Amino acid sequence: MVDASATALPDAATFACGQCGASLRFAGVRTEACPYCASPNFVERPARARSPRPGLVIAFAADAARARQQLAGWLGSRSWFADARLRRARVEDLRGVYVPAYLYSAVAHTEYTASIGEHYTEIEMRPMRPMGETGEIGEIGEPVTEARRVTRTEYRPLAGRHVGYVTDVLVSASTGLAAAELAALEPFELGQLRRYAPALVTGWIAEEFSREPDGCRRASREAALDEIALELRRFLPGDSHCDLAWRTTVEWESLEPILVPVWVLAVRYRDDRPALRVVINGQTGAVAGRVPWTAWKIAAAIALAVLAVAAVLVVWHGAPP
Amino acid sequence: VTACARCETALEPGDLRCAICALPVPAAAPPAVAEPRAQLLRCRDCGAAIGFSPEASAPRCGFCGQAMAIEQPIDPPEAAQLHLPFTVDRAAAEAAMRCWLAGRGWFAPRALASEAVLESLTPLSWAAWRVQAEALVAWAADSDAGAERSAWAPHAGQVPLVFRDIVVPASRGLRHAECRRLLPYYDWSTAIAVDREPLLGAIERFDILRSAARRTVQAAIEATARVRIQPHIPGRRYRNVRVACLVERQTTERVALPAWILIYHYRGTAYRALVHGQRADRVHGRAPLDRRKLALLVGLVGLVGLAAAIAKLALG
Repeated sequence: MVDASATALPDAATFACGQCGASLRFAGVRTEACPYCASPNFVERPARARSPRPGLVIAFAADAARARQQLAGWLGSRSWFADARLRRARVEDLRGVYVPAYLYSAVAHTEYTASIGEHYTEIEMRPMRPMGETGEIGEIGEPVTEARRVTRTEYRPLAGRHVGYVTDVLVSASTGLAAAELAALEPFELGQLRRYAPALVTGWIAEEFSREPDGCRRASREAALDEIALELRRFLPGDSHCDLAWRTTVEWESLEPILVPVWVLAVRYRDDRPALRVVINGQTGAVAGRVPWTAWKIAAAIALAVLAVAAVLVVWHGAPP
Repeated sequence: VTACARCETALEPGDLRCAICALPVPAAAPPAVAEPRAQLLRCRDCGAAIGFSPEASAPRCGFCGQAMAIEQPIDPPEAAQLHLPFTVDRAAAEAAMRCWLAGRGWFAPRALASEAVLESLTPLSWAAWRVQAEALVAWAADSDAGAERSAWAPHAGQVPLVFRDIVVPASRGLRHAECRRLLPYYDWSTAIAVDREPLLGAIERFDILRSAARRTVQAAIEATARVRIQPHIPGRRYRNVRVACLVERQTTERVALPAWILIYHYRGTAYRALVHGQRADRVHGRAPLDRRKLALLVGLVGLVGLAAAIAKLALG
């Protein structure tokens, strides 16, 4: 779950609990519950380049009970190939985490070249196959032609430009949640963004930013370029295209630190296997996790498929002598 | 902050990001932290430490249930800023309707004008957005210019465009087609602020949230750009017209446009028609059709077709 570009967690610091004065260690988080009095403490630290203060936050929209319901629904809807014991799995650890992320936007100017395929039709004369002794068309061996309408493609070069804003590119800034895991939980409803305030995260785990902003900027830019590439393919005219080459310049890049709500769970479905990690979008309820497959079910399905193909072949060609 | 630093689009109170380019609006500097320390949020009623509650969408006390008022996400339904006054009064609207019913043509029932019963005639100012913007528009299309074996050849270009007074219907009550028929006949020079003069009748609420409204407006700008770039496409025929817009300096006004909504009954069935609030000669709506006349027409067409078929057979 932790990739190579991740940086070390921010320095841990110890503060006195605001309620009972007990020592509280804030390691990579902005919030901590006191183990003695359960008071939800938060800490405001000066922003640093590697660990900025969040600018925006999406708040949790439902409680833990709702997250458990969403998990149960998701486990129940897994395919037949998934381990059947998943349906009776127990949740060992369920935590609501405000995960740090960056929201990227930019202006993108793209220059492209491509070969644009334009269809046209032609009438083509083709020799017909004789129909045999009782055939209605021609005698055996006599060349007979027929007119057929065929569609061909003419490729024409095109050079042009594409412009636009790239918005709402979200990348994880947490070493604990991989970019792919966050991507699996998207989209978040960004219309519900709020300005960050400790009141929105107190009582929950609010992680500190633990990835380098420069690395996140590069990852965001790559995601933005992928988005532009997809958009460019939809933008091109013609019936088809090939040899698409493009160069995109991004300007006015913005990388806004935000916190997004994620339920992180450990699901125990077998005592002899590690717990399955599942994440749930704390706003929309979307669930993501890598479901274990059952080897014998896959083997049985392959064997059945092979048997079915063999049976069809036998019926089609007749039994071997 | 009144305009986005990146695209110079006007910002509205409560915007956290620019509606067009999504650049975050700078926040006021957070309070300086001299010495970091652990803090608690306390209930104002009982003093207990409290945490954020998803149900309350705010911090709430687990002991006394008191929720703390905090800033909520701003995505409000919006209200009209400008309106155009009615220049067609009730009597003129009713007369326009009677005139319209009498002129429904041969297929309308002969007794429509005399037997139609007016059920209601309501003045309503329906909701719309009026948009001004500038945009760099990149386009690509197929046209017949330069075509060789295929009838089409690809072309592309980029052009700056200025959009003035694009009016986008925001009405939930009126159909889009109805709004489109009314729009060309409004006198925009009469527009005044909503709070400067009392309105005749009701003003339709902007039921669409701000975020959804902006998507609708963006789609309208793109649709307008697709039409506006057509003179830049070489050739006489074109297809697959694609546009990409880099919109800048967009301003959006919420306007209320006058119309008389009338419901009338004819032989037990209700129909709706609209009388333009500023032009009594612009009336649109549904009217009943005389089924006997329609059946007669279908029969006549059938007979003509049959006669033509017989004639063709007879002539060999």
